[in-house]
Amino acid sequence: MAATWIKPSTRPEPIEDLVSGVDRYNPSNVSILEDYLYHQIRSEEYDLLANLAILKLYQFNPDLYNPDVVINILIKALAASPLPDFNLCISLLDERTHPSTLDEPDPLPSTLPQLKTLQSLLFRCRFPAFWATFQSEEFENLRDNYTVEVAGFENAIRQVAIRAVKATFTHITSERLGSYLNLSGNDLTSYVKGLGWTIDSSNGTITVPPNPDNQIEATVVQEAIKLPQLSKVISHAVKA
Amino acid sequence: MAQQRTQLWAAEADIDEDIDLNLAIGTYAQNDYEEASLQQPIADATLQAMQAHLSQQNAFAQIPDAVKAFIVHFHQAVLDNNLAEITIAYESGWNKFTEKFYAKTEWPEAELIAPLVNDDPIFLILYRELYYRHVYSRLQPNIDDRFHSFENSCELFNYLLNSDGPVQLELPEQWLWDIIDEFIYQYQVFCSWRSKVKSKTEDELVMLAEGGPQVWSSYSVLNVLYSLMQKSKINEYIAAQREGKSAEEIAEIVGEYGQRPLYRQLGYFSIVGLLRVHVLLGDFTLALKVMDNIELNQKSPFTRVTACHVTTYYYVGFCYIMLRRYPDAIRTFVTILNFIMRMKQYHTRSYQYDQISKTADRMYALFAMCHALSPSRLDDNIANIAKERFGEQYAKMSKGGEDALASFEELFLYACPKFINANSPPYDDPAAIQSLLAPPTPAEASAVDGSSQLDATHRHLQLFLSDVAAQSQIPTLRSFLKLYTSLGAPKLANFLDADEEEMVQEMMVVKQASRSFSRVPGSSSPGLLDGETITTSDLNFVIAENMVHITESTVGRRYAGWFIKNTERTQKILDDLKTMPLPATRAPGQPQQQPQQQQQQGQRESKKVGWAKTA
Repeated sequence: MAATWIKPSTRPEPIEDLVSGVDRYNPSNVSILEDYLYHQIRSEEYDLLANLAILKLYQFNPDLYNPDVVINILIKALAASPLPDFNLCISLLDERTHPSTLDEPDPLPSTLPQLKTLQSLLFRCRFPAFWATFQSEEFENLRDNYTVEVAGFENAIRQVAIRAVKATFTHITSERLGSYLNLSGNDLTSYVKGLGWTIDSSNGTITVPPNPDNQIEATVVQEAIKLPQLSKVISHAVKA
Repeated sequence: MAQQRTQLWAAEADIDEDIDLNLAIGTYAQNDYEEASLQQPIADATLQAMQAHLSQQNAFAQIPDAVKAFIVHFHQAVLDNNLAEITIAYESGWNKFTEKFYAKTEWPEAELIAPLVNDDPIFLILYRELYYRHVYSRLQPNIDDRFHSFENSCELFNYLLNSDGPVQLELPEQWLWDIIDEFIYQYQVFCSWRSKVKSKTEDELVMLAEGGPQVWSSYSVLNVLYSLMQKSKINEYIAAQREGKSAEEIAEIVGEYGQRPLYRQLGYFSIVGLLRVHVLLGDFTLALKVMDNIELNQKSPFTRVTACHVTTYYYVGFCYIMLRRYPDAIRTFVTILNFIMRMKQYHTRSYQYDQISKTADRMYALFAMCHALSPSRLDDNIANIAKERFGEQYAKMSKGGEDALASFEELFLYACPKFINANSPPYDDPAAIQSLLAPPTPAEASAVDGSSQLDATHRHLQLFLSDVAAQSQIPTLRSFLKLYTSLGAPKLANFLDADEEEMVQEMMVVKQASRSFSRVPGSSSPGLLDGETITTSDLNFVIAENMVHITESTVGRRYAGWFIKNTERTQKILDDLKTMPLPATRAPGQPQQQPQQQQQQGQRESKKVGWAKTA
């Protein structure tokens, strides 16, 4: 999984050269990377290292700063939880010491705390709270202006929940799962079927297919004695 | 100072004049620099000639003779590319004279000693490098020092990179590493000094406004490091070596620059330098990516310079922490801390020992934090030392809960690198500076205060603490789970006095925390960012509807090693016994020969050895 995290299969060749080479520091390349970000937004792809390259260019060239781009990058990173992507993006956001060169007021200072709240909820697996907060009034700005642009945002967040559920449960009630996914009734049923999971319609329990994380067994770490360790003993016995 | 770049060898013609000095140089052959062996004072005629040219005659005359002789000797060694001599002069000579004469003041200015070395520009650049390093470490550099040291570094790298073809200079590895290390260090202190807007005097503000953006800019620092890497083609070199190409092929791949050891070593150290700069700027993935070609093991070339070795592991470990890859971080720290423990006995007199000890201490702190976040059964030795050193904090951190956060914060601030902001405050914009210094409205005042708090270290600390806070319930939960094999969720919620749904979600966090990305030993790819998901905890559980099933993995008794060792030891004893000479035996047909001797023999034989039966 690390291989795709570092280099997604959907990354085109020019971007790969850009990200891996010295050209990433060239300010005139920022538009190429920004276009790639918008491509990611529209087509439900995700490329962390390319997005970090954009943030790094902003770090060195404050006049290139584009708050919408930053917010979009952060939104995309939300869906990668529990990987540290969101934190890595924040690490690259230096403080803004220059007076703003933008035409409109900078939306980042007000949206950043909101995004941080959402991220913290996701990391702590508080999924019902996440949906509640996300749907609340304060977050209306975020919803209407930003997340609505990001294709498949809600599904991506559902994937985060599914990953956590897959690791922890073998059976889960549909109410619980519904609260995690912010789905209910027929929506929930069709979503679960889409995942390939089975629902026991009599009591609404959903079976999570076995995967390495939710099959547990008590293991005793046995020592493996290898032949080379015994070679001295055996050869001595043969000689005698 | 724009000096003409005279050809190095053209300057040699002048040296023949100072014949007396050359005679004196011949006596310096010992390992440790002995100034007492200077027999001849500098010839009067030469001294007068020099004094006649200088306006600061007094200052020059105040330089002790021993120092003057040392400088000349050093210069000669550099000209001769005599690596052994240079190393001695650099490592012991310079430090000795610093301790003796210049412990609290600066070395003489480069202009002052220039006549001693015939205005050799290359040597003067190197001398100034040492001069400024001394200023930064022992004294407080003022703004002039900072600007000039930057110019000097630029000249040095300009000389190395932009001359026609590779330069013929040869310098010891330690010095090359120190050049890169110091360059980055001066950059870092300049950035932190620069961001303190409120403490600047008027003059300083003016100077910063004029020269600010160019001096120690992030781009120029990165430019230098990347250029060194590219000129020496160090990455291609390492790849070619790994593929086992022949010497000729490698020579062709790396070109004329890459063949010279000076450039190759500089390129190599630049990679580590980049690792450090990226961490300081907060870009942890790029930092690890830069190290793609370098393998972190004891055989890699960077282990030849101990300071470089320690620095590399420190920064790699820290990157892993910020990437939440605690097992990797633990493994990194354990490796280097073991190494430092073992080599401590050999290196106590090295002048870098203090710095290495300090870094080691910080790594113990980081190790303690990682161990609290991701307990594992690994190296007990290091864990014990860390607990000794940071016992109080470690106890608080392992328990989780409220106190833990304070301990984490304390240790993080102690052990983290000195992060910097990539950009300077807007010194070239007087209005902006004024508003930062004296905010007109209360709203802006709070913004300024807020931004001064949001300095880089604080930002990273907050990120780390939020991660920790998310995991603060885990130790408590784990301790409950250990007691059961299966447990109903409502019952567990009852124990914890928590809402059931909350608790189930917290369980998901526990599960999440016990899985981590880690580099699997034996994996073929060399990159540091690679890895797979592994389990980090002994305790494993799964929830089936409302029932929690728990298992714990235990380690079986290890008996093989003990048995094998003792078997081999017994076999050795048996072998030794079989080859030992037997005691002398009595021949049966000689009963009357020398009865006394027989009696003696009998007495000796009666002292039989008792063979104890082994159980």
